[in-house]
Amino acid sequence: MGRLFCRAIGGLALAATLVFGNPLLADDTLDRGIGSEWSSLDPQVNFDAAAGWIQMDVYEGLITFGPGSKIIPGAAESWEVSPDGMTYTFTLREGLKWSNGDPLVAQDFVNGVLRTLDPATASEKGYYFYSVIRIKGAEALANGETTDPATLGVTAPDARTVKIEMLTPAPHILALMGAFQMAPLHGPSFAAKGAATFIDAGNVVSNGAYVIKEVVPQSHVLLERNPNYWDAANVKIPFVKYHVTEDVSTELKRYQAGEIDITYDIPLNQIEALKAATPDEVKIAPSTEVTYYSFNLTKEPFQNIDLRRALSLAIDREVLEGKIVKGGAIPSFSYAGGFDPDYKGPQIAEAAMTQVEREALAQELYAKAGYGPDNPLQINIVSTVAEDSVKRAQGVALMWKKVLGVEAVNEAMERKAWLDAFYAGGWDVFSDNLVGDFAGAETFLAYMRPSAEPGYNWVKPEYDAAMDVAAAIATKPERDAALAAAEKILLDDYIFAPLAIQPTRQLVKPNVKGYEASAAGYYNSQFLSLE
Amino acid sequence: MGRFVLRRLWDGGLTLVALVTLTFFVMRLAPGGPFSKNRKISPEVLENIQKSFHLDEPLWQQFGRYVWGLVHLDLGPSTRFRDYDVGAIIASGLPYSLTIGFWAIVVAALVGIALGIAGALRRNSATDYLAGTVGVVGIAVPIFVIGPLMQVIFSLKLGWFPVGGMDGGWRSLVLPVLVLSLPNIAYISRLTRTSMIETLRENHVRTARAKGIGARRVLVGHVLKGALLPVIAYLGPAAAAVITGSILIETIFAVPGIGRHFVDAALNRDYPLVMGITLLYGGLVILFNIATDIVRGWLDPRVRHGG
Repeated sequence: MGRLFCRAIGGLALAATLVFGNPLLADDTLDRGIGSEWSSLDPQVNFDAAAGWIQMDVYEGLITFGPGSKIIPGAAESWEVSPDGMTYTFTLREGLKWSNGDPLVAQDFVNGVLRTLDPATASEKGYYFYSVIRIKGAEALANGETTDPATLGVTAPDARTVKIEMLTPAPHILALMGAFQMAPLHGPSFAAKGAATFIDAGNVVSNGAYVIKEVVPQSHVLLERNPNYWDAANVKIPFVKYHVTEDVSTELKRYQAGEIDITYDIPLNQIEALKAATPDEVKIAPSTEVTYYSFNLTKEPFQNIDLRRALSLAIDREVLEGKIVKGGAIPSFSYAGGFDPDYKGPQIAEAAMTQVEREALAQELYAKAGYGPDNPLQINIVSTVAEDSVKRAQGVALMWKKVLGVEAVNEAMERKAWLDAFYAGGWDVFSDNLVGDFAGAETFLAYMRPSAEPGYNWVKPEYDAAMDVAAAIATKPERDAALAAAEKILLDDYIFAPLAIQPTRQLVKPNVKGYEASAAGYYNSQFLSLE
Repeated sequence: MGRFVLRRLWDGGLTLVALVTLTFFVMRLAPGGPFSKNRKISPEVLENIQKSFHLDEPLWQQFGRYVWGLVHLDLGPSTRFRDYDVGAIIASGLPYSLTIGFWAIVVAALVGIALGIAGALRRNSATDYLAGTVGVVGIAVPIFVIGPLMQVIFSLKLGWFPVGGMDGGWRSLVLPVLVLSLPNIAYISRLTRTSMIETLRENHVRTARAKGIGARRVLVGHVLKGALLPVIAYLGPAAAAVITGSILIETIFAVPGIGRHFVDAALNRDYPLVMGITLLYGGLVILFNIATDIVRGWLDPRVRHGG
């Protein structure tokens, strides 16, 4: 009996070693953290930014994002824009191949867009093509009004030409031509296996610098260099391993133990210590996520602009982010600026004042709105349960109490409930955030259109009109100027208090070369090297 | 004995049916849904997505669809992990959770029982105090303190084991197994000790001793069999809990098991995954309880006839 038991245990131990024991040499592998598990490796379905990094390594769009997320030619070697800015014609490189050696043709890109829009795909990404940029026929295909592929404004006149026709000009179109938004589709493998082909490690056909070699759910995705990639000679790292690093403290320890080369995040309470110990490894840079506190315009007190303004001015943004939240966020008085150095957007009018002056003005406006020590404003702040989100809400409540005497309570709820709470409308102040679809002002400003997001209950025909003006302009500098004029209308109404631009926080080992932080947040492994 | 097992199985089946029904409907009471994440999606498109997961149908119809799937051993698609259906997610994570859980239970049972016996035989000796201390520490200090502490000592300082992941072969198993077994070692050793002390005082043990049977034979043949009954009763449900994975252990040690789905699936409103995980856990608890009953019935005739 005893011997049998021992043998059983021995057998299990052996089995475990066989299952788990496949250590790869670390030297030729770049180990990257991606936070939670990827939601999908299907290039037309995946909507997670971190899983997007895998996708950007494995697939290549018409353009690609070079170091610092700079837009550079990808599968397309060049492109031409029509004078009205509504038609883009991309020319593919000669001799492009899929990873299995099949020729890559223009129609593969068209098929990728068609599949994204197809209701049967149930992709959340279709709006890139009918809302962020407005491609002809895209919305009707996405809504299921038609299934005729010929109605789409993305076509392949010949094997090396992709033509995109839009309803309105969009100078930001190139930012949406990368692999995350618009990966090509390899017809034969998809026809044979359906969506299962995308996780068929070792067999999945792709066109990027890497191919998927191994997929272990909840654990990692291992990539290997794609020999059929057109620029394979310049891809320096042979293997890239994306690890699920759900727990940020564990990720830090794995980084310190040398198991991870680039982390997904840094624990908030460790930032100061790490900055002191290894300043060169701590990379904190603005992302395209803004945090702002929205006021509920359906509730009577907030219909008074003086009160909204008072609440916005009473917040000391520097102290809030620098001393209370301490997450590396950049305090901000504007909404859509801060990502695109070319965009010269406005700030709220009082940004130039000192905080003391702002608080004095806030007290004045608060009294003018009819509130005071005997009649304090009583409100809730609805936020998520995330650590920084709760700290921020508590900090703001404290400042409102101290400066104005407002009685604010924080109602923290888990993420899904928080999302629904926005439309349920039980909030007075909503701890709001928005991630841009690309690193530009327009993605934020378009979202605030009363016609685009009715949840704010903001009625402002002037804003819609100003945005319409901007949307018709084909050249970027002029369009940016028109967008800035629209943002001024938005900020002048104080329907929310802009607070901060969220950062990306990563630790990068000193032997990883070529890493360059950027707002767009693309770090393709093909541009990195290990020393 | 056969009828006893059959009756337990029948009760277990009924419990499972109640569990499925309750979970299915209670889960839908929580605000939010699997796709309430991107406010920018147009209502028409959102509707299409909902439709592809049949979330647009009336609840009773969805329930019928789910039960129909279950009958055909189909747990449905996951709404969060779009590449896999729930069956595949469980199949991929369960081996990791099983391996760690199995070893943790083996370690906990062996060490716990040994410590308990030693403590009971040499009451108030150094061994007893040591066992007691291990017990208190194991129960009182939470996993999320011990786990990171062990990572700092054994991984960062000594470099013996990896911090996390499953790439290091058997080395990857050591820390999670150790940390997962600690609280169970504590419970088991205390249970064993108390129960041993009680059994040692019983008449049949005194009789055995009076008959001049050797100390070792008394211990193995007369004391242990009775003393281990409560331990076995504890081990059954504990094994079900341990082998289905611990969310804390799996998060701290980056183990790709199914433990973290318990919480994440609910947070993501991944209804089919919540159902699948609940079914799995419920089913295992019921099975282990039945197994425990059978073992107890074999050890103690009162259980199989009385209960």
